[in-house]
Amino acid sequence: MERLPRGRHGLSPEFVAQNQRQRLIAGLTEALYQVGYQKTTVSLIGERASVSKSDFYKHFESKDDCFFAAYEEAVERIRTEIVAACSKHDEWSPRVRDGIVAALTLLACDPALASLSLVEGLRAGRGVYDRYQAAVESFVPYLRRGAPAGPDGEPVPVATDEAVVGGIASLLGRRVLAGEAEQIDQLLPDVLEFALTPYLGAAEARRIISAG
Amino acid sequence: MDAMAELTAEQGYEATKIADIVRRAGVARKTLYDNFDGKEEVFLGAFDSAVDEIAGQIEEACKAAAGEWVDGVTAGLRAFLDYVAEKPAIARMCLVEAMSATPASATRYDAALERLIGLMRERAPADSGLPETTEETLVGGVAWILHQRIRRGESEQALDLMPELLDFLLSPYLGVGKQKL
Repeated sequence: MERLPRGRHGLSPEFVAQNQRQRLIAGLTEALYQVGYQKTTVSLIGERASVSKSDFYKHFESKDDCFFAAYEEAVERIRTEIVAACSKHDEWSPRVRDGIVAALTLLACDPALASLSLVEGLRAGRGVYDRYQAAVESFVPYLRRGAPAGPDGEPVPVATDEAVVGGIASLLGRRVLAGEAEQIDQLLPDVLEFALTPYLGAAEARRIISAG
Repeated sequence: MDAMAELTAEQGYEATKIADIVRRAGVARKTLYDNFDGKEEVFLGAFDSAVDEIAGQIEEACKAAAGEWVDGVTAGLRAFLDYVAEKPAIARMCLVEAMSATPASATRYDAALERLIGLMRERAPADSGLPETTEETLVGGVAWILHQRIRRGESEQALDLMPELLDFLLSPYLGVGKQKL
């Protein structure tokens, strides 16, 4: 994010503060992606954001406080993207398909976001880790809502919804950890097949994926 | 190292101090530092030996199971759930704390997952036509469910998950519902 002009600019103090806060969050996300959690210090975040250390502490109590805000924002960004993609459809399978496409596309385009949300962010301690946990869980209802009963007519076990979402999060996290965040979108066919098959059976899942 | 597992299960990795570990283990601080560089080393040591134990038991159960590949996977999963139910503190350290404790522990967690994925790959039919990442997502999904249940304090009921998790693990290969036959 670009810094604001110096000197007289007629911008309200609230605007400046909000802009600084956003720059700090962007600075943290970028630094984290490049150097990892331990080396992402308050000075480095400030440097990336062009915000002084004393201004940093006007917005956040500590590095982890900034982490928490950045994490919160990252999760919201991913959620907004998924919800927007899902809301185009009433039917279950195109809705799930577009939600997954949206998530993987966003993460591949923004590897720093992928790293913050799936891997490095989790080092910031219990608070953020709990948030990760809650975020992964919060995607389960999107999958569950309106899900078909399963190809054999029997309802899909409850643990399946959770295991599908958790399995995808685990796969994506492993790729990010391996430094392959930018190629996450190449996993699309695999992830789609994995998510749809328990509900539709393999043949129908493949048909929907290829109709994409 | 047992003390480390107990303490991280009770209060988390971050809050666990060297002083707590030596007190719980009943050893002198010097003894700890003779054997380990610091807290992270103790944690990683405890993690590694626990993973060896868990993966060893799963491998053994898989091997001992006679019959089809499905029987091997069933026995392996049962051994895994058994372990979680019997040793909740160690299971928590491996499946919950390790993911977020330190960068090194996250890498080891990933390697441990890889080991289980390898076991699944060895057993699953090679000609299934399923995506290459299938075993990764399946094992990741099972680990996630266990992770959730452990966090909710339900480790001791891990075996109750057997039917649902088995269904989840096998259905991509067999078709939904078939594993019940």
